[in-house]
Parts: sequence; C-alpha cells; structure tokens
Amino acid sequence: MNAGLGFKLSHLQAMLLFALVISIAFGFLGRRRPVDRVKYIVWSLFLFLLVGVGIGWAMYPFSH
Amino acid sequence: MEESKMADETTAIAPQQGSRREAKAFLIAVAGWFVPGLGHALMKMWGRAVTCFLTVGLLVFFGAGMRGNLFSSSGNDAFDALGYIADMGTGTFYLAARSLEKEGADVSHAGGDYGTRFLATAGVLNLLAALHAFEAARGRKA
Repeated sequence: MNAGLGFKLSHLQAMLLFALVISIAFGFLGRRRPVDRVKYIVWSLFLFLLVGVGIGWAMYPFSH
Repeated sequence: MEESKMADETTAIAPQQGSRREAKAFLIAVAGWFVPGLGHALMKMWGRAVTCFLTVGLLVFFGAGMRGNLFSSSGNDAFDALGYIADMGTGTFYLAARSLEKEGADVSHAGGDYGTRFLATAGVLNLLAALHAFEAARGRKA
C-alpha cells in the first residue's frame, strides 16, 4: 500500500479478500441462524478458493 | 347473507393491503439500493444491514483503492454499458468511489483489473441485497 489509496495486492491476496467478503455477504443473506451462517461462510470460502486455485492450475500449462 | 357481505368486504380490503405492501417493499428495495444495507435496516434486520453496508463498502473501497475502472454513462459499447449498470448498483457508493479515485483508473496492471471486478461485484452484490430486502418485505421467506 502506498500514499493516495493505491493498494498493491498480489493475485492471491486479491482472491482471498474477494472470496472472504463475498462469502460473508452470502452467509448473512442466505442463512438466518448464526451457526448456519458460519457453516455457510466457511464452506463458501473453501469452494471459492478451491475453484480459484483449481482454475489457476488448469491454466498453468498454457503459460508455458 | 351477513357472511357473504363480510366476505365481499374482506376481498375488497385484501388487494388494497396487498398493493400497499408491494409499494412498501418497492420503497425498501430502492432504499437498499440507494444506501447499501438501508433496506434491511428499515426492516430491523440489523445483522444483514451492517453486513451489506460493510461488504459493499469494503469492495468499493478496495476496488477504488486498486484504481479499478469505474464506468461512466458515456460508454462506447455494450460492455461499458453493462459495467456502468453494475457500478451503479452500489447506489451512493458510486459517488464515494469516484471521490476516492482521485488519480483515475489504471488497468495497465493486474491490480487495476482486479479493482474493476471489485467495483462491479460490489454493485451486483448490492442489487442482490436490495432484491433480498424486497422479498423479505413482501413476506417471502428470507
């Protein structure tokens, strides 16, 4: 991060931030009970990261 | 005779209440779009209200901070128009993003491209939240 609100995030950091924020929003909108919300957030976050990393590895051969 | 008269009155009142409820739900949805979380706050769904406000706010903050592209109404093609619709989904936060991005967009690096996605996602997420508030106000399961 530098002056002037110019955030410098790596690919992984941006993906983690995105996945976490969206998972929390989905959890709160989609579930009513706190326990269900936490389960949904964790599961959603896991799937976001799994799919993100999976697609990253699937594209790896094309970069060489 | 008396029962049929009461039934007529009931059927006359029910659509009026229904349309009033629809109008209220519509206003709640518009409020939720205008200020993220306000629609849920008006229904005293505080957890969801705070979550909508913070998640949409964080996405806009980081999206603008990463110098993502904030589309304007004077786009050149359909993708610009779609981007503008998505960005406008953040309601008043669109103006906040404009004021945060003092140096303008920079999508020449990956961070700026991520920022563009963050801003568009914030708008779409807020539209989803406004739709959720609308359904909740109509009495649907939420």
